[in-house]
Order: sequence, then C-alpha cells, then structure tokens
Amino acid sequence: MSNPALVLSARDLHRDYAMGESPVHALRGVSLDVAPGDYVAIAGPSGCGKSTLLNLLGAIDRPDAGAVEIGGKRVDRLTDREATRFRLLHIGFVFQRFYLMPALTARENVELPMAEAGVPRGARRDRAMELLSYVGLASRAGHRPSQLSGGEQQRVAIARALANRPALLLCDEPTGELDAHTGAEMIALFERLNADGTTIVVVTHDEDLARAARRVVHMKDGAILSDTRAR
Amino acid sequence: MLLTLVRASLWRRRSRTALAVIGVAVSAALLLDMVMLSSGMRESFRSLLESRGFALRLAPKGTLPFDTEATIDSADAVMAQLRANPDIVTVSPVLGGQVHVALGRGTVAAVAIGIDPAVQGDYDLRAGHDIQRADQMVVSDQFLAATGARVGDTLRVAGGYDAQMRLLIGERRLVVAGTAHFVYMPANPRVVALPIATLRAMRQTVDDPVSLFMLRLRPGADPATVQRWVARAIPRVTVISTATALRQVDERLSYFRQLAFILGSVSLTVGLLLVTTLVTVSVNERLGEIAVMRAIGIATRSIVLQVLVEGTAIMLAGSVLGLGLGLVTARYLNGILSSFPGLPAAIDFFLFQPRDAWVSLGLLGVCGVLAGVYPAWRGASLPIATTLREEAVA
Amino acid sequence: MGDRLVVRASPTGLGDTVVVGAIVRRSADPSEVARGEYRVLMHLDQLQSLIGYGDRVDRFAVATAGAAATDRALARINDAAFGFQAYRSRDIAVETSQTFLVVSRFHRAIGVITIVASAVFLLCIMLLKVDERRRDVAALRLMGISSATVLKAIVLEATLVATAGSVLGVGIGVAASALVNAHYRGVYRTPLAFTIVTPDVVAFAVALSLGLGVAAGFFAARRLTRVHPLVLFGR
Repeated sequence: MSNPALVLSARDLHRDYAMGESPVHALRGVSLDVAPGDYVAIAGPSGCGKSTLLNLLGAIDRPDAGAVEIGGKRVDRLTDREATRFRLLHIGFVFQRFYLMPALTARENVELPMAEAGVPRGARRDRAMELLSYVGLASRAGHRPSQLSGGEQQRVAIARALANRPALLLCDEPTGELDAHTGAEMIALFERLNADGTTIVVVTHDEDLARAARRVVHMKDGAILSDTRAR
Repeated sequence: MLLTLVRASLWRRRSRTALAVIGVAVSAALLLDMVMLSSGMRESFRSLLESRGFALRLAPKGTLPFDTEATIDSADAVMAQLRANPDIVTVSPVLGGQVHVALGRGTVAAVAIGIDPAVQGDYDLRAGHDIQRADQMVVSDQFLAATGARVGDTLRVAGGYDAQMRLLIGERRLVVAGTAHFVYMPANPRVVALPIATLRAMRQTVDDPVSLFMLRLRPGADPATVQRWVARAIPRVTVISTATALRQVDERLSYFRQLAFILGSVSLTVGLLLVTTLVTVSVNERLGEIAVMRAIGIATRSIVLQVLVEGTAIMLAGSVLGLGLGLVTARYLNGILSSFPGLPAAIDFFLFQPRDAWVSLGLLGVCGVLAGVYPAWRGASLPIATTLREEAVA
Repeated sequence: MGDRLVVRASPTGLGDTVVVGAIVRRSADPSEVARGEYRVLMHLDQLQSLIGYGDRVDRFAVATAGAAATDRALARINDAAFGFQAYRSRDIAVETSQTFLVVSRFHRAIGVITIVASAVFLLCIMLLKVDERRRDVAALRLMGISSATVLKAIVLEATLVATAGSVLGVGIGVAASALVNAHYRGVYRTPLAFTIVTPDVVAFAVALSLGLGVAAGFFAARRLTRVHPLVLFGR
C-alpha cells in the first residue's frame, strides 16, 4: 500500500456508530489519497460523514475496517499513546470552534504543542512569535482568547496547528463560526499556507472555501460521490 | 508550560479557587490541632518530668505521686538505703500536706510541701532568697495575695486545724524568705515550701514520713536497672520511671488521643472530599478543552499531571494558611484544657512541634494527589471524537 | 469471694483479718472515672478502730423527704452545727465534676469549630455543584424562566438534600453515641453515660444543618442568577 509520494493514503474506510436498534453507517468504503502540497476540500450535506472521515484521517478515531497511512505509517494500528504522539508531531488540527485554551494568551496557546514536544523555552517562544506574525497577530500575542475576535481566534488556532511543522493540516469547518468577511480572510490565509507548501485537507459547507481548494471531494451518505481537481 | 497552565487555570476561576483554599485551610487547621493534641500532652509532661533531672520517683506502694494521702514511713532509713547505691547521686524527699495561716479571726489554707532545700526540685525562686533556717518558707505569689503578706513577713502557720473547736494545731511562726514558681502545681495555687522536718513537727507525726522521693542518677546509669534494684531492696514503695509515668498518663487521658484521631481523620476526609469535588467539577467543565488537547497531541499523562498539580496546589496553599489558623485555635483550646483540676500549669495539651506541621502537610499533600487522580484520569480517557461532538452540541 | 485478707492502716502496723463478702460495681461517680485505686468497704466501727479514728467520720449523707424538706434540713443543720457544714449533693457534684466541666467546655469549643468548618465546606461544595449547572441555568433563563423561579428551584433542591442529610445525620449520631458509651464504659469501667442524645440536641442539630444547607444553596443560586445568561454560556 505504501506510496512514499503520498502524504496521506486512506483505503476502504468503514465506520459505524451504534444508535438505537440499528447501527448508523457513517462511512462506507471511503478511499482517499493526498499528495504533498495538495489542498483538498471535502464537501457534502450534514451527516454525510465528512467529520467522521476527518477524525479517522487525523488518528483521533479508529476505523472499523480499512487502513489509514500518513507518511508511510499505519496510524489506524497505533495505540492511543502512539496516536497522540503522532498527532503532536505530524498533524495539525483546526476546529470549527477554535478550541483555544481560555486561560492562556495567544502566544502561550501556540507554544503549547511545542512545549509538549520538548522544544526549549526560547526556541518555542521565537517560533510562536514567528507563526503569529505569519498570521498577522504578532501585536496580539499577549491577549487571551476572550479578548480576540472570532477570526483572530481562528488565526491563532491555525498558528497553533502549525507549531510543530506538521506534514498535514486537517481543518474541520474552519469558517463555520465566522462571518463572510472574516471567512474570506481565512480562505486567503489557507491559500497562502498552501502556496508556502502546507498540505491541507479541509472539511467544509462553505462553497467559497471549497472553490478555493485545488481539489474537491464530494460526499453523500458515507461515500465519495466525486473527486474533482479544480486547478 | 505545565506551571503556566496550572496557574492560569486556577486564576481564571479565582473565587472558586479562593473558596477551595479556605475550605482546605479549615480542614488543615483542624488536622494540625488534632496532630498536636495526640502527642502534645505526652511530650509536655515528659518535658516537665525530665526538666529537673530526676529520672525516678518513689511513691507509697500501689499509688502514684500525691494521688492519695498515703506516705512512706521511716523515710530516713529508706534514704540511707538509697544513698548506698552508687548510681543514685541525689535523693530529694517531698512531704505533702496542708497548712493553715492565721489571719485575724479566720484562716487561709494552703498546700504545703516539705522539702530539703539543698536538693529540692519543686520550685524556681523568683524573689527573696531560698530557705536557710528551719523557721523559713518560700511561697507562691497567690499565697501572698491571699494572705496580704510580703517577703520578710512573719506568719502564724499551723499544721492542722480543728474545725469543730476552731483551734490551730502544731502552730509555728514562719518567715516568708522568698517567692517561687512551683513547677508541678496547677495554675493559681496557694503553695508554701518549708523544711521537711518543720512540716513533720507541725503535723505532729510520730514517724518520719515522706510522700515521695525523687532520685537523680549519675550520668550513664541505666534507670531501668536502678528501678529494679529499688523494687527489690525496698518492696514497700512503687518506683516510677519517666516511661512508667508517661504510660499511666496515656491511659488516663487516652480519651483525648482517641478524639484527636477521630477528628483528625474526619477533617482529612472532608478536605479530601472538597478537593475531589473541586477537581471533578473543574475537569467536567473542561472536557472539551481536554479533548482538544489530546487531539492536538498533548499526552494523557501531561493532562493528568496538570490536574493533579492543580489539586495539590490548592491543598498546599490551604495547608499553609491552615497552619496559622491551627496555631491560633490550638492556643484557644489549650487555654480551656489548662484549667483541668490538679494538672500542673506547665502542661500543654496542644504542643507545637515542627514534626506535627510536616505530618499534617504531608497527609494533606498525599490527599491532594489522591483527590485528583481519578477524575483527571477519567476526563483524559474519554473518546476524543465523541467528547468534541458532545461539547459542540452543549 | 470468701477469701481471707489482712488489712492494715500502715504497711508495718497491726491488722485485722477480713473475709471478702461481696464484690461491688463502681458507682456512677464522675470523680472515680479513670482512677486506678482499689476500694474496700468495711463496717464503720471496724475501720474507725483500724485507723485510730475514734468516734469520727468524714461526712454524713442525709436523705430527705423532698426538695422543701432538703432546704429546711440544710438551714437547721447549718444553724445548729459547730465546726461542720451541710451542703446539697448537687453542689458537691458540681465541685467534684470540675474535670468534666472542663471537658464540656472543650467539647463545646470543638463543636463550634467543627460547625464553622462544616459551614465552609458546605458552601464550597454547594457553590461548585451549582456552578457546574451554569449552562442549564443559562438555558432556562434564555427560555424565559425568571431568576426568582430558578432560585426557588435550587433552594428547594438544597432543602431536600439538607433534610435527607439531617435525617441520616441524626441516625449516625445516635448510633455513634451508643458506640461511644459502650466503648468508654468498658475502658473506664463506669456506668456513667459519656454522651446523651436528647430531643433538644436533635432539634438543634437538625435546625443547624437545615439552616446551613438552605443558606448555602441560596447563596450559590443567587450568585448564578445574578449573572447574564450569555455570560454563563461563556460568551
């Protein structure tokens, strides 16, 4: 299965959830390959399995059947501890609701994954400021999430996701909580990130965000309907 | 980063943290008091017994010193026997009784101790001078206050008083040579010390009785060996070492040790419960945060450690505050128990030893860790995806 | 029982031979608690003769026909007495119970401290548990339920919990009291009661625990209902 040219390779993924008497088939045999530098948008109606797929790709959840490889490593076979460590070093996550630590400042939020990875204090502080500058928030480094707008919080979340230089950035509805103007700013940021070499997989309802991606995967009822390369 | 997270988290919910710290402080104060109570009386009593350097005490057979009116007769012969033992360097005889001081139409009663001034171990002189003649006495401040006398005054003192005939028996004119602090007496007593021969003569006893012998041993002598020798040589006395005396005091006041243990355990349990509740609520509120931390790669171990450190920090802060509070309440409670009738004023029920503080802090620290372990582990073990979804819905 | 013993007034003096006729139980006298001495009961004239007391006694105990008779007897004896004094037994008991008065004061102080500590703990825990439900409270308020209704609901809950706790506490207290008495009666070999649970004590304890519980619930609820619902949601 291994293809060193691919950042991510998912084969025949199945995931069911027990709900009442009969199980819900959230994913039915989904396969997906992502090459380095790709910018993939996964779109589809609510309940089609987009977020479930993202959780499996990010080793947050395990498939009932199928395989997920990231950088040549079978992440679906990792123990919980190994998966956590893998996520820390190789995957960046951006969530719809930002999920910044409310008690920490913007800089401290970005430093958090680096501290866990054992990066020395000076080095992680520098990198945090570098990333905050990249997303245009160097001047807000000392502010807490409650003092930032939604768009600013999401940019801090993106900076946090990039802290340990992951191979892959996974985003779940990153513009879901933002207004149209701020959403557009976020789309521009993602384009810049991808242009600078970051591999991005984004799950979204947002048509504009989907259009900005290089490749759009449409899902329905737990299966991929189409996989179109836009540009 | 861990300390940053802990500090930030505790500061974010300042009022809750403060309240928990106060709750732990109260628990810590009570625990410290109970630890002090469990050993204070014993240590205080030991310190008193050892303060004069007398390792052994002899009382009439089957009694404790001054527990009854029994006496050891033919005391001079007993003293000669004791002095024959090379391990015994000092023998201090003490005869207890009561004297009556004639004042106008009435009398004032006082506790009397007959002693040998050269070897006495019952008082510390405060003013005036020690007994140098048979007609001199050293008294307590309360005695002077009750009689209106001063150092240097001569008083009519009797060894007995016939209440029916209102007659003083064995009257002598004694001079107040000085005032003293009587080490083994309860607070505020009227006490006089006078030569033992004088007291015997005033009581008109035919024999040469004493109530108690106190023995000082030569350095290096084994008290247990001397104790056995005395028990064999003089079977009509009971020999009480410091250890024996402490054991008997332990028996009599075992109630306080048991109370200390029960109350100490209860306060520790309640403190533990408080921190457990706090940590559980804190974790439950942050399940989403915890799930995100795990999603971005923070290890479960790190998350559990953060929660544990939070709980321990509250425990420690509360303990330090509780230390001060505990010392204040201990002083108040000691004041109440000091008025125990018949107890030497020098005895403290609540005696602070640094060891007590460490024991209390240690217990609370361990509890702080234990309190946080289960809720932290539980919160960090929940499935990430499900938790994120539930938190988003919430 | 039935053994012959020699009793003497002093270790070397002459003595009398006596037969152990009965073994008696300790009396319920506080001054005897924790004392390890031995007691011998003899005929008065034999003991007087043995210790050379002559025709003397240390005291008389006088029984009277009721409280009024006690007062009259006390007055007449003290008027006529020369060299001795009559006292009510109750007054003597107070004097000899000095030890237990001290213990009583100590217990009261410990009780006060424990109540204060419990109040602090209760308030802490109640605040935490009510705070845990801030989102529920926020949702209710946004739906249109008034602060007063929410407050009453939480206070009612606190009252029910406090009531249940009080009932349980009374049961535990009664059981603990029985346990304490059984234990210390054995340790000190006395028929004295060390703890007594009376209706007054129960009423006081229940009133205090109910009061504290309801007050803690009220303060915790009021703290939440004063905050805007959106702030409770964390926005």
